[in-house]
Amino acid sequence: MSILKLNVINLEKSEYTGGKSSLCPGCGHDQISNVIIQAAWENGINPEGIAKMSGIGCSSKTPAYFLGKSHGFNTVHGRMPSVTTGANMVNKDLSFLAVSGDGDTASIGIGQFIHAIRRNLDMVYIIENNGVYGLTKGQYSATVERGSKKKKGAMNEQAPIDLCAMAVNLGCSFVARSFSGSKKQLTALLRAAMSHKGMAIIDVISPCVTFANNDESYKSYNYVKANDEVLHIVDYIAHFSPIEAVEVPAGEFKEIKLFDGSTLRLETVGNEHDPTDTVAALRAIHEADKEGRHVTGLLYYNPDKKTATETLGLTKTPLMALSESELRPSKESLVQLNDGFRTN
Amino acid sequence: MTLRVNDFTINISTANGTGSQSANLIILHSMYEMGVPVSGKNLFPSNISGLPTWFIIRASDAGYQAPGDYTHIQVMMNKDTWEKDLNNLEPGTIIIYNQDLKLPVERDDCVVLPMPMTKMARSISPKMAKLMANMYYVGALAHILKIDEGAIKSAVSNQFGGKEKAIEWNLQAIAEGKAFAEENWDYESEYLIEAREKNPNTYLIEGNEATALGAIYGGINMLSWYPITPSSSVAESVISWIPKLREAEDGGATCAVVQAEDELAAAGMVLGAGWAGGRGMTCTSGPGISLMSEFIGLFYFSEVPGVIWDINRVGPSTGLPTRTQQGDLSMLYEASHGDTQHIVLIPGTVDECFEFGWRAFDYADRFQTMVFGFGDLDLGMNRWSTAGFEYPDIPMDRGKVIRSQEQMDAITNYGRYRDVDGDGIAYRTLPGSGLDPILYRGTGHDEDGIYSEDPQVYLATMERLKRKINGARDLLPAPIIREEKEKNIGIIFYGSMENTIVEIDDMLEETGLSVSTCRVRALPYHSEVESFIQEHEKIIVLEINRDGQLFGILRKELPAHLLTKIQSVAYSDGLPARARIYTDLILKTLNGVKL
Repeated sequence: MSILKLNVINLEKSEYTGGKSSLCPGCGHDQISNVIIQAAWENGINPEGIAKMSGIGCSSKTPAYFLGKSHGFNTVHGRMPSVTTGANMVNKDLSFLAVSGDGDTASIGIGQFIHAIRRNLDMVYIIENNGVYGLTKGQYSATVERGSKKKKGAMNEQAPIDLCAMAVNLGCSFVARSFSGSKKQLTALLRAAMSHKGMAIIDVISPCVTFANNDESYKSYNYVKANDEVLHIVDYIAHFSPIEAVEVPAGEFKEIKLFDGSTLRLETVGNEHDPTDTVAALRAIHEADKEGRHVTGLLYYNPDKKTATETLGLTKTPLMALSESELRPSKESLVQLNDGFRTN
Repeated sequence: MTLRVNDFTINISTANGTGSQSANLIILHSMYEMGVPVSGKNLFPSNISGLPTWFIIRASDAGYQAPGDYTHIQVMMNKDTWEKDLNNLEPGTIIIYNQDLKLPVERDDCVVLPMPMTKMARSISPKMAKLMANMYYVGALAHILKIDEGAIKSAVSNQFGGKEKAIEWNLQAIAEGKAFAEENWDYESEYLIEAREKNPNTYLIEGNEATALGAIYGGINMLSWYPITPSSSVAESVISWIPKLREAEDGGATCAVVQAEDELAAAGMVLGAGWAGGRGMTCTSGPGISLMSEFIGLFYFSEVPGVIWDINRVGPSTGLPTRTQQGDLSMLYEASHGDTQHIVLIPGTVDECFEFGWRAFDYADRFQTMVFGFGDLDLGMNRWSTAGFEYPDIPMDRGKVIRSQEQMDAITNYGRYRDVDGDGIAYRTLPGSGLDPILYRGTGHDEDGIYSEDPQVYLATMERLKRKINGARDLLPAPIIREEKEKNIGIIFYGSMENTIVEIDDMLEETGLSVSTCRVRALPYHSEVESFIQEHEKIIVLEINRDGQLFGILRKELPAHLLTKIQSVAYSDGLPARARIYTDLILKTLNGVKL
């Protein structure tokens, strides 16, 4: 008898692991990979039903390091959303779990990122955000803060693109920010994102240990630890175990019902944050930004938005599973078609 | 006076957006209705309203479908091109013009026939006068060419299907135009339209609509597209026909249609759909292919099926967006960086647009690669005759997809990229199946799909890919060969040149030459193309572009001893191929005149 713990679908955690990472030792991305493994296992998602998607960059390499039982596609730079869109159109039953970086998303792929949000593609989109291009040896990316400085080279003087603020403005149905060093918060947010129907974005600050983990870098481990403005304490309560070991907090809290019946509990720590209010979300982001701080937690949530495939009114069966007789109109139909053209 | 029956060209000069297209199609369809072989070419501008448009109608008992080399009847409705239109005419041309434009027609050497079209149209409807004025030249042509009244009526009622008021007004305008001509023009035309026996099965249709219908019968279930002339009507036809031809039991859509944010995204969606086991397609033109090129390399290297239709317009760059060319062929064949090679299907008729429309998906699934359909504006956006499309004669080929554990177990040493059958095509599994999951990638990979930079692994992969696509040669549509006994001159051509080749052939044979033709219908080219070259003394490769793109491909791939036989004749001015121009160029080339 196995002594290893099984999840709700009786799988060991090892069923969710992947290959050995080739990233720099200590990379924030590896911690995120571990959280992905943990969250998928704890949520009891069948790994066969997951499709791992990524673009190009350090972060986009990571799908090789988790969920080895899932199919995946390491696509081209900045174009992962379109490949995900096509796959989602023909198989809406797959659970799409995407990993991208700040270069992949905020620069080369910003157009596809925006349009995936606009369509409300049913996917989890994790941005492993470190403010630098790692694979090409440390150039600034478009998410680096004004005044931030990487290990070598000049200080950055351009304004950053805040992907969460942009996503909120575009009406993204689930927008969160976290930190690779906050394992508990990130796990709860990712589990909630996996329980959400529609596009769920988690912007995860993930320090680059090689090029930008110095204290003058706003995305370094020490800087984020010291300047993390936590919106609320998040706890995920799975639909299959409502009495999971989560203590009811003493103070005030809000509960958010997720699509699969699970709950995300938000315990107020400072000012109360209403995640259904876009203006509140933007205020939280911009006020933190003014003070050089990173606001983390569930920024915005809207469960009522139709997904891309719902908007199209697709038939129930995934399109890739339709039979030849459903996909090829009958011989008789072509006779009628030809006759129609002849008489018109 | 010698009569010219069913053998002349009409050029109608109008401004874009004035409703002349309805009038032009009524003329075209009424002649077609009478059984007269006729072709119509719309030379339109890249503009919604105001720029000049010409519509060329050619009646030809010989079946010539190219625009004629000379205009016999000129209809003048456009102020802006007035002078130029007049200056282009040969002596003796019939000029029918709208005299309300108040411009001079100083051509004493021509037959000049004025009509106050706008004024007369105003009497039917002051508001619609500008649109209705066009119907008067329909009446004028009906009179001088003696077009059957019943055919006109049927063409009008089809053009304005169901709109009673429009049918009534337009018929009235045509009748008035006809009456005016009878009363005021003391002229008996040498040009006549005479009824011929019509094959009741034939009808006219645009190539793009035929392609779209083919795709639907091919089981398309994901269409992504970004609007671009001249390909948009492929997508629009899929969108309008799908609900009429396919319905799921629950009433839901069986094809997802996504208007993408750009062509890159459109290609990415096709890739995603193919990877997940769907039949994805997009349609575009040259600029779109340029943008899609990175993805096209990923299709090739990661071996994912997909279909992209390129409806060629004139390049380079934005070029002449509403004119026709065969300028994208070499780009398609080797699109994307690194060594690549893609299957290209090249229809030359609307029947082939339909056929290759469905076959493209089978080839994509079979060879696990991106398949191009290659059309052009002339074939795609003009109307051509068909006797009716033929139903696919084979079931869908979904290629080598492993769908169960039993199938998986039957293969020893399975790997996503391991060539177990020796044809270069490996077996794949689909996401969601749980069968041998791998991370697809555009980076180097071994037979199991694992990242690899090993030189021998890379070499083996690239050699296998070459073998795989080469293996498609004789499984793709074979060339259409029309052979003379003499095996003297052979012309190799492709695509919409089909509409001009018969006339070119006749012109060449009038000079005493014996000419065989070979229409290439796919790349990589079929072995019969090589035999055709082998068997003929001299070969001309005839193309609608500047540089001789198929010629370049042949020169690269043919064995060295055949290279001295082939010569290029390539010409492109944006207009559909006219026979005289190409014939003269072929004669000069054969005579060794340096072009």
